Amino acid sequence: MKKRLVAIMLVSSMMLSMAGCAKNGANADEVKKNESAAFDGKLEKNVTIHVLENDTAIEKGYFKDLIDAFNKKYKSKGIKAVDANMDQYSDLAKDGPYGYGPDVIYQANDVIMKYAQGKHVLPLPIDKIEGHDKIPNCAWKAYETKVDGKTYTCGVPVNVQAPVLYYRKDLLPEDWKEKWDKNKDNIPDMVETWKGMYDFSIQRHAEDASKYGYMKSINDMYFSSGFLFSYGGYIFGKNNTDPTKVGLNAKESVKGAKVLNQLASVMNEDCIDDTITTNAYSKLGDGTYFATMSTPDMYSTFLSEIEKNYTGLDKKEAEEKAKENLVMTTLPTLPESGDLTADSKKEIPTKSMGGVNGYAISSYSKAPNASLLFVEFATKYKMIKKRAEMLGIAPARKDVASDVGGTSQQIYTNLDKNNIVLMPSVTAVSQIWTPGQTFFTDIAKDAFRTDADKKYKNLDDYSSGLDEMCKQISEAIKTLK
Amino acid sequence: MSKRNKLDVAVTYTLLIIVAFIFFFPCLWLILASFSKSGSIYSFKGFFPKSYSLQTFINLFTDTRMYNYPRWFLNTLFVATGSCLLGTFLTILTAYTMSRFDFKGRKTIMKSTMVLGMFPSFMGMIAVYLLMTQFGLINQLWGLIFIYAAGAPMGYLTQKGFFDTIPKSIDEAAKIDGATNFQIFTRINLPLSKPIIVYTALTSFTWPWSDFILPKLLLKEKNLYTVAVGLMSLDETQFARFAAGSVFIALPIVILYFCLVKNMVEGISEGAIKG
Repeated sequence: MKKRLVAIMLVSSMMLSMAGCAKNGANADEVKKNESAAFDGKLEKNVTIHVLENDTAIEKGYFKDLIDAFNKKYKSKGIKAVDANMDQYSDLAKDGPYGYGPDVIYQANDVIMKYAQGKHVLPLPIDKIEGHDKIPNCAWKAYETKVDGKTYTCGVPVNVQAPVLYYRKDLLPEDWKEKWDKNKDNIPDMVETWKGMYDFSIQRHAEDASKYGYMKSINDMYFSSGFLFSYGGYIFGKNNTDPTKVGLNAKESVKGAKVLNQLASVMNEDCIDDTITTNAYSKLGDGTYFATMSTPDMYSTFLSEIEKNYTGLDKKEAEEKAKENLVMTTLPTLPESGDLTADSKKEIPTKSMGGVNGYAISSYSKAPNASLLFVEFATKYKMIKKRAEMLGIAPARKDVASDVGGTSQQIYTNLDKNNIVLMPSVTAVSQIWTPGQTFFTDIAKDAFRTDADKKYKNLDDYSSGLDEMCKQISEAIKTLK
Repeated sequence: MSKRNKLDVAVTYTLLIIVAFIFFFPCLWLILASFSKSGSIYSFKGFFPKSYSLQTFINLFTDTRMYNYPRWFLNTLFVATGSCLLGTFLTILTAYTMSRFDFKGRKTIMKSTMVLGMFPSFMGMIAVYLLMTQFGLINQLWGLIFIYAAGAPMGYLTQKGFFDTIPKSIDEAAKIDGATNFQIFTRINLPLSKPIIVYTALTSFTWPWSDFILPKLLLKEKNLYTVAVGLMSLDETQFARFAAGSVFIALPIVILYFCLVKNMVEGISEGAIKG
């Protein structure tokens, strides 16, 4: 009896494991076939491509327009694009191998390159992309990876994500042209220079204790690191490709840290943690804050929060009024001296950390050629222009950026002039966030400590703080390699 | 009532009111927040919203382009009802078998299930995910129902305790009269077990109703989300929608609870007589 039982158990476990192998084997074959046969120009027929877009594009109706236009054009070829209907931050590395991931994904360069390192996305024949030469090299580089000495590009840049300044035009002082436009260039000083913003923030809060000028969570590494870059700091050596060298403390980056501390001193204690990151939309909307820093894709969110405060107007009127009063612009300039309390003799541009969002094609797609066709279609001049107009994003294509003009063009120019430092496409970048956040949190806290308790009293103190942060990052990279 | 007794009652009631208020306050806050006109947590006047409106609830059910709450609600209802029916059936059968029949390995199975029940359910999530991919049950609401129902009999001990309280002499008498085991179960024991069936059904319903980890793991498509997963996916500016969704999801369970609470209390206490 016992022998029989053991035999049955053995046979059952063998069958189960064989069933499992068969399924895995099939997957592996498919992947291999896809990789070798990828982009052979033979369009797959009667296929449905699942596209994972970002929520704003879906919410504002751009994505529907895009897939409708694509489906209309390629109906005769039996290719159909649909919404992957998944969370915008779904993990391709987890779902893709089991056949549940999308065919085409729209993501930031650091996410796509993380997938590229795990071979979850395909290297693309970028010469087939219509606007190939219209996209700056630095944007393409964000999607490049080197394997066995060869360079592969795993994504097509669509829009540039970089910090921008949002402010309320209607909250400017009535006499700003006389008192807040020293160089008479018709741009208010508070949105032209950080020194102006600092002074205005003090004045606004002094006039009404419940109101503030500039407000932003200082602990946010993505937004705060730009102040270090502006004075010579950098993330990794060799153009952000060598994680053995961490350079956030390089050159005069201490000045950037000091500026952040001075900006924190004109805010309230909410700047120490994430509070302002989450409440900035409604607080800018109700006029508590005059300005904040965010990314261009949040424009519509700020707009709708301002609209909510216009009671007594119909939706269209409220929308128009909000559009008139909300301004999105590039970041103000910094004083070369690194001191917001003193008069500035020379201004320097504010650099910022940024990213390039773009399309990539999953390695697990059963229709790579049709997916490529979709990416080609979605990155054509017409669609990128429509995207920029509907979503207010900053396009990575030079021709669209100059046609759209305004902030989009300024952001493109900043990218081209290397004032936007793209997030490194190496996995070690994941180790910079926590030590960075700890340091910036401490700087923000210091603004609210009593004079006796202050930790950062001079530039040397900031310098040791930065050194400690870089040391922590280097150790984390070495340990978790 | 003596003066001392009156004081006792007053102190007891005061304490009870304070404790009730502490527990009720977060619920009250969430309910009021769901009616907030501005929809933002940061525009509150102190703890409570400045002005109230039904707009958030209207948006919850009409503005479904990004967040299809009605669909999530129906998905949750489907999963919870399916798990409740199948889970209750399996649990009652397991408990009845363990209570009424003596067979080889019974004690070992009972001990094993008790030990296995001590491990948290999320421990095997990766294995569950891999198994579900092999069975093709990712992105299937039925997949969830199967897992919940299959796991439900692990908690059969309360039900077994209840069946143990029904005298076996009734079964023996029925057997002498020629009844089969199936007839004894369906015609004698089941009608006597209404309270414990209600209790089992209610607990089998509430767990999938509010579970987050398993649906998050197995459901990839937004249209298949349950309410718990859907609410977690809301944008950070959608606080009022989150509050309204949370309040509305509590309604059916509260109604169900008040309808069945009498039976449930009986079920728990009777099942607890003998363990």
